[in-house]
Amino acid sequence: MSKNLKRVMVIGGGIAGIQASLDLAERGIKVELIEKNACIGGRMAQLDKTFPTNDCSICILAPKLAECSRHPNITLHTLSEVKNLSGQPRNFNVKIFKKARYVKEDECINCGLCIEKCPMRVDDEFDMKLRKRRAIYIDYVQGVPSIMRIDRKNCLLFTKDACRICEKVCEREAIDFDQKDEELELNVGSIIVATGYDIFDPKTLGSLGYGRYPNVVTALEFERLICASGPLDGHLKRPSDKNDPKKLAFINCVGSRDIKNNPYCSSCCCMYTTKEAMIAYEHDNEIDTSIFYIDLRAAGKGFREYIQRGCDDYAIKYIKGKVAKILEDDQKNPLIVYEDITTSQVKQLKFDLVILATSMIPKKDAGNLAKILGIKINDFNFFKANSYQPQISSKEGIFLCGACREPMDIPSSVVDASGAAAKAAEIVMRG
Amino acid sequence: MVFEPKILGFLCNWCSYAGADLAGVSRIQYPTNVRVIRVMCSGRVDPVFIAEAFMNGIDGVLVLGCHLGDCHYISGNYEAELKMKMLSKTLSMISFSDRVRLDWVSAAEGNRFAQIVRDFTEHIRKLGPSPVKNKKIKKEIIDNLNAVKFALCDTRLRALVARQRELTTEGNVYGEIIPTEEFEEILDNAIENEIIRHKIIEKIKKEGKSVPDIAKEIEVEPHKVLHHIVTLRARGLVDVDQINEEIPTFKSIKEV
Amino acid sequence: MSDEAIRIGVFICHCGTNIGGVLDIPELTEYTKTLPNVVYSAANLYTCSEVGLSEIRENIKEHNLNRVIVASCSPRTHEPLFRSTCQEAGLNPYLFEMVNIRDQDSWVHMKEPEKGTEKAKDLIRMGVYKAALLESLEKMQVSVIPSAIVIGGGIAGMNAALNLANQNFKVSLIEKDSELGGLLRYLNKVYPTNEDASNLLETRNLVENHKKIDVYKSAVIEKIEGYVGNFKVIILQNKKIIEIEAGAIIVATGAKALSPEGYYNYNGKNIISQLELEGLLKENSINTNNITMIQCVGCRNEERKYCSNICCMTALKNAILLKEQNPDANVTIIFRDLQTQGVAYEEYYRRAREMGILFINYLPEKPPIIKKDHIEVYNEFMNQGIGVPYDLLVLSMPLIANEDSEQLAKMLKVPLEENNFFLEAHVKLRPVDFATDGIFVCGSAHWPADISESISQSNAAASRASTIISKEMLEVEGSTAEINTDLCVGCEACIKICPYSAISRDEETDTVVVNKVVCKGCGVCGASCPQNAITIHHFTSDQITAEIVTYGGG
Repeated sequence: MSKNLKRVMVIGGGIAGIQASLDLAERGIKVELIEKNACIGGRMAQLDKTFPTNDCSICILAPKLAECSRHPNITLHTLSEVKNLSGQPRNFNVKIFKKARYVKEDECINCGLCIEKCPMRVDDEFDMKLRKRRAIYIDYVQGVPSIMRIDRKNCLLFTKDACRICEKVCEREAIDFDQKDEELELNVGSIIVATGYDIFDPKTLGSLGYGRYPNVVTALEFERLICASGPLDGHLKRPSDKNDPKKLAFINCVGSRDIKNNPYCSSCCCMYTTKEAMIAYEHDNEIDTSIFYIDLRAAGKGFREYIQRGCDDYAIKYIKGKVAKILEDDQKNPLIVYEDITTSQVKQLKFDLVILATSMIPKKDAGNLAKILGIKINDFNFFKANSYQPQISSKEGIFLCGACREPMDIPSSVVDASGAAAKAAEIVMRG
Repeated sequence: MVFEPKILGFLCNWCSYAGADLAGVSRIQYPTNVRVIRVMCSGRVDPVFIAEAFMNGIDGVLVLGCHLGDCHYISGNYEAELKMKMLSKTLSMISFSDRVRLDWVSAAEGNRFAQIVRDFTEHIRKLGPSPVKNKKIKKEIIDNLNAVKFALCDTRLRALVARQRELTTEGNVYGEIIPTEEFEEILDNAIENEIIRHKIIEKIKKEGKSVPDIAKEIEVEPHKVLHHIVTLRARGLVDVDQINEEIPTFKSIKEV
Repeated sequence: MSDEAIRIGVFICHCGTNIGGVLDIPELTEYTKTLPNVVYSAANLYTCSEVGLSEIRENIKEHNLNRVIVASCSPRTHEPLFRSTCQEAGLNPYLFEMVNIRDQDSWVHMKEPEKGTEKAKDLIRMGVYKAALLESLEKMQVSVIPSAIVIGGGIAGMNAALNLANQNFKVSLIEKDSELGGLLRYLNKVYPTNEDASNLLETRNLVENHKKIDVYKSAVIEKIEGYVGNFKVIILQNKKIIEIEAGAIIVATGAKALSPEGYYNYNGKNIISQLELEGLLKENSINTNNITMIQCVGCRNEERKYCSNICCMTALKNAILLKEQNPDANVTIIFRDLQTQGVAYEEYYRRAREMGILFINYLPEKPPIIKKDHIEVYNEFMNQGIGVPYDLLVLSMPLIANEDSEQLAKMLKVPLEENNFFLEAHVKLRPVDFATDGIFVCGSAHWPADISESISQSNAAASRASTIISKEMLEVEGSTAEINTDLCVGCEACIKICPYSAISRDEETDTVVVNKVVCKGCGVCGASCPQNAITIHHFTSDQITAEIVTYGGG
């Protein structure tokens, strides 16, 4: 006989996982929220603004983060991953592997003293490696839970058995190097997978010069570059000479709609490149932007009007063209060589900074998680969703939402998340 | 030194305040002169607040609501419009109507909000500082503003405005719809009367005066003054003070 | 409370450099300490962070604060967070006041930091004077009817009803037509798997046979009353008036296709609409060789600026079906931008190209010209028109809002956007909620949506509705209107002026009273009351006047 556990596990604490958790919690269902990182927030926390309203991303996300961490029906498991699944719908048994934080969650007050004193300098993943962080750190300043963690790979105590400075400076004695990784078992009635996406690495497309030309960056790097809390405090400079860039180019479909890489459309790039161009223009009205596209995909509510505003009010030029390659002149200005689709002519244009709208790709470990959960993935490694009930996975009792099943924007992820919550509730609340 | 006007803005929570926030999110720069009081709806703005603002030396007042038809509370901004019309009529009697503006800003109009602030700030700058700040005429101006406030607090006038939409569209209890022009005339008269009545009260606060004397002081025909005195007596605000040689003098008997 | 001395704590947020980089925060903090009743004033890097919040909680206790002010971003986004933080520290949430020194100060006066700081001083002072007059308010508890009403029996409405019913809630499904199914009934097959639309229509049986769902067909909504947790919908069905009660309402009324009359020589014979093509495909009665489709007919123009979302995929689907039926047929799609986002749809587009379907781009300023047996499409490269022959011309018409949306919106007291689709509370984070509590929207009533999107959204709307109807009791805002019966003379001006019918005469006591659950706290009655007998809690005349006076006098 199976128990009907009125408890749901949500895997992934990005906007989709957060929304699903909050809906379920408000519905009166207990939620176990599993997050791999030390803070919830996901990709949305990395974005500067969000289209089509251009609200500041963290501003609208922060209240949700706090709500999530405060809700009595939500138990937050950070630094945690799913290791094993057994049982059946309405009575799943999930093994969770929780990495040691080496910081006592109840003691740390996020005062930052330890960060100041830590001697290590490591690439900051949250800031797309555009600045350094320490080996003890918080994922991002507004992160929730707002407590430190120690990165074992880089901490001198673990690598060289030395240092322990953070331990000495911490006034609250919150550092605990004896913490051990843990395994815990959770019993839930249903599972929602909301693990999000990774970013396509444009280095594999040698012709675009990413990695070789300093003034060619990815869109997510650009988000951090223009973000007020990013590495440049929101004052956009081009990487090579720290000059104010005046001519920007965005290239859509980098790695997407491309048989050799990702044949699918990444859904959001037409909109977010427009958004990034708008923000850049708001920072500096002398900025002149071109967006290279194949088809302008803007079918969501108010999206087409948004693109129109981009043309009319933000001086954005939309160029229907396929970019063949990027060259660089002796001032390190990127030169875009492209085929104008409407006239079939090959042209070349010079820019100060080029931004690549790289495709959203499945999480590196999606295949592994699929195996653990026993759900199917599609040809591209996204979790396989039912065509007409897109929150339904290939396995009963396990649901999908957000970009882990297909590239999608924030509104769609939120809809998807609430939808997955409804499906999970259907399983655990069924009479 | 350039005159920096002191401007007060009443913004409705749902559209205009959001529009002002959007101006912020979009980093649209505008003059620093406005201080905002957030209200849930522009219809919450009691005209008395604006009289109060002018009495306290504020140079200009902006009232911003959702566009007509977009009110979060369905019809609040229509009510705001009627109130501001009445206020404007009242203020025009003391040459203050230029210092208040009602306009509409949606949650998507950060630019429009900034532009309204720019225009209004410039407009007030041109008008110059509020006469309340001029020591020479301050007393007179405050008296005038007090008269305005008196009118705006008047029960009958408020009832007229509160019922305006009902009376001009649905009709009164007998089903009679009052044409808008006719209503405006009634309203104009009511405003004028209330302001005169307040002036009368101001004149007879300290000592009793006769109708002809009051008439001379406030430059209104004696028969009209008598009429107002009768009304004010009925409201219990004025009474006979003394009777000298068969000519009664009147004095205000209640603080208003 | 009234005897207790006012003790105000002010928390000033740097918001990183958002505020701190422009305004002089140390100066503001010092200035604030000089204001009356302020016993504590400090700056935080991010007041909204867990650190900032715990500082608020700790200082409420440590300094015995009975009023809290946060000077930071907008109350529109952060007031709930700070209010509940106060509540956690034992302070009534209505004793909190927020001052906006970022969105309406540091961000808009970036080049005038000194003047911006002066402005912030005024704003904080105004907040302090208001805070001194704030009063504790109680949130009322109201019971909730544990059922939902779904308006519209298309695929979105049916699916929402089914989900809630499966969660064990009672659902009433109201459909104006004589049968369920909506637009899906007219479709032949559905993308991206090309299965028969009739398979999905099976949902009808599940809905009609579900013991938790009452279906009202051929029903007209006469009136909608009530409020979150306690709605009453009055419908007319077979000349009978039926009253249905529910705790939440889901709007799933769908949309309709724009009529093709008057576009591109439409004649209903060899020039037809995409929807008419669905019918012909159902009957399997197409035997022409040259089929051409035109996209964006009657939309993405001055009159209708929007993209209707579903037409590209619909055209691709029918093009593929035609090509499958007759591989020798010439199928051409004349388009502007092909909207096939995502994984499956882009795949579908590729398949169409591989099958030999021809795609020709056109510019809105040079639309295709219909000749007797061919269409002329301007080609920029060749700078001339190219002829595309056709036997059958298919026009892709957009979905437009139903004409009764306006009436329904009025009854529900919810807004429509410029194209008359229903307007949600927030595009990003509340995509299926209305600003009015307890009412939700899904499917094409919100924006043209295909089957999969409609179902997704209907699940979402069901989830949002379940967060209300799963509760026994709901808490209601405390900042509402209250009538002082001693001052009220019973003129009833407020009863007429209230847009929510929240004010009425209580027959028993013969006084005019406010229904706090229905009252939205807009304050229009208060500003109108001839006797000044109405208090608008949290926005009282005294509080607002105090702000005005201190600004003027400062």
